[in-house]
Amino acid sequence: MSEEIVRAEGLKKTFTLSKKQQKIEKTGETRRVAVNGLSFSAYRGEIYGLLGPNGAGKTTTLRMLSTLIRPDAGDAFLCGHSVVKEPAKVRDEIGFMTSELKLEGFFTPDYLFDFFGAMHGVEKSTLQRRKRELFEKFGIDKFAEVQVKNLSTGMLQKVSLVISIVHDPSVVIFDEPTNGLDVLTAKVVTDFLSELKAMGKSVLLSTHIFSLVEKLCDRVGIIFDGKMVAEGPLDEIAKGDLEKSFFDLYYGIKGEMV
Amino acid sequence: MKLLALIKKEFHRFFHDPRLIVTMLLPGIVIFLLYTIMGEAIHAEPQKYDYKVYVQGEAPSVTSMIEMAVEESGNTVEWLPLEDMDAAKKQVEEGEATAILTFTENFEELPENSAVSVVYDPMDEAGSGFYALSTALLEQIGMRFSILSEPLVSEEGLGREIMQQILPFIIVCFVFSACMSITLESVAGEKERGTLSTILVTSAKRSHIALGKIVPLACISMLGALSSFLGVVLSMPKLMGLSVGMLGGYGFGTYVLLFLLILSFVPLIVALISTISTAARSVKEASAYTSVLMIFVMVISLVTAFVPVIGDWAVAIPVLNAVVFMQELLAGAVPVWQSLVSVGANLLYTAALVFVMTKMLSSEKIMFGK
Repeated sequence: MSEEIVRAEGLKKTFTLSKKQQKIEKTGETRRVAVNGLSFSAYRGEIYGLLGPNGAGKTTTLRMLSTLIRPDAGDAFLCGHSVVKEPAKVRDEIGFMTSELKLEGFFTPDYLFDFFGAMHGVEKSTLQRRKRELFEKFGIDKFAEVQVKNLSTGMLQKVSLVISIVHDPSVVIFDEPTNGLDVLTAKVVTDFLSELKAMGKSVLLSTHIFSLVEKLCDRVGIIFDGKMVAEGPLDEIAKGDLEKSFFDLYYGIKGEMV
Repeated sequence: MKLLALIKKEFHRFFHDPRLIVTMLLPGIVIFLLYTIMGEAIHAEPQKYDYKVYVQGEAPSVTSMIEMAVEESGNTVEWLPLEDMDAAKKQVEEGEATAILTFTENFEELPENSAVSVVYDPMDEAGSGFYALSTALLEQIGMRFSILSEPLVSEEGLGREIMQQILPFIIVCFVFSACMSITLESVAGEKERGTLSTILVTSAKRSHIALGKIVPLACISMLGALSSFLGVVLSMPKLMGLSVGMLGGYGFGTYVLLFLLILSFVPLIVALISTISTAARSVKEASAYTSVLMIFVMVISLVTAFVPVIGDWAVAIPVLNAVVFMQELLAGAVPVWQSLVSVGANLLYTAALVFVMTKMLSSEKIMFGK
């Protein structure tokens, strides 16, 4: 087995529900466990998919791994660095892409690439070389001086992708990478993920789209209600039909819970 | 390196957006034009006056000549016998009387050292009009006597008084509005749009992100405040009917201390608004909190108008320290240690706010809480 790049150990995260949220969800509970003792490992050069329904805890898990939020319990190690104790080191090892993170519309792709390169401490000549290569590869070079607010959705997604890997990270984390994208842009993203894998990067993605997991992932973890219910190589989990395996698990557990 | 990139980004954002530059500089230009036009309108309008002038000493032919000249200019004059000089001066100060003419003994026989003195209030348009008319007439007579003018307030003192009372408050107002206009957008706006989170995912230190906002925004706010400040200073003489030179007359040291006080006060306000903006969930929410802060700051900067004597303890109170010692500087005093301690205190408060903002940027509840 190849080198372990990501290791999550008993990650737990609980959120306090505001009065407004309680009212919307018609619940009396004041706290909600979003992730409950999640453990898994991802290896160099593979794509790992976190699969689960909405509200299962996928995004919360990825946010903990990208150090945006701290786990209440447990820890995770990315390239050997703890997300709890060494968040800055983890941030230099990861590229995180989610719809939650935006680029300022006033600036151009060229400016933002340089800016985020500086934010990750990338050396100037390396930065210029990477910019040339990545902009050419994704067809951004023609739009390098166009303000981000004037770019099409597809081009904006490409720019976001490129900027998330400006520092050549070892681990790339994507939260729902194809959500809300048209077929052409979605293809650009999925092709990009495959290329990252080919480049020896580790990719962690969250999704609820079975076909995306089947097409891209080497290993998969299925999450229900913040708990990892199945984890392993795609073939072992899917058993020929990922969707069927997923729902077998889902109804089986829901039945147990009821 | 990362801090420098963050600072450069804010400057780039500002100096490459003509709209932001115009927004920042426009208040100063508008104030200058508006006050100048208002001043022209106020002072250009001819007015009719009924002068009430106290007279001491006998000079019937002179007073009748003045009376004729006054009537020719479309005004009237009433001569009042002077009984109590102090009471008369008070009336002149309060605008109830126009002037006091005092003739030396046997004035009309023009002995040696004969003189006439004119007491008037240069701030009162009637008083300064009567003074100009009567002294011009007396000079025309051209005989051997001297004219002693006795304005109740010296013009320089008058300029200083205006500066002392109004300018610190105006500076606080303009600094605050300049800081508010860009800081809300830059901090709360970025948080609301999700662009601040993108920076939080990088390995830049949270303290650098906080400083990367406060340092450039303070510099830019200083420009905006300077524009408004110049607008006021250059237009105020027109508005008050004074000359620009009257507002000067301060030593180099006074200007240095004034500049230092403003320099320490701007980052403090920027840091305050930045901290509030970081805590707020949207620009709208941040605007609401900042409006409350603005009222609070305005009240503090007006305290000196109601409390005539404020002790040196004011050095410890942000905003108030700047206002009090700016007023003292403009009044002609040089409170060196108080000004320097105030500058130090303001910078210390700013550092404390940078620390608080850093903690806030690290707090997931504040940055990502719904």
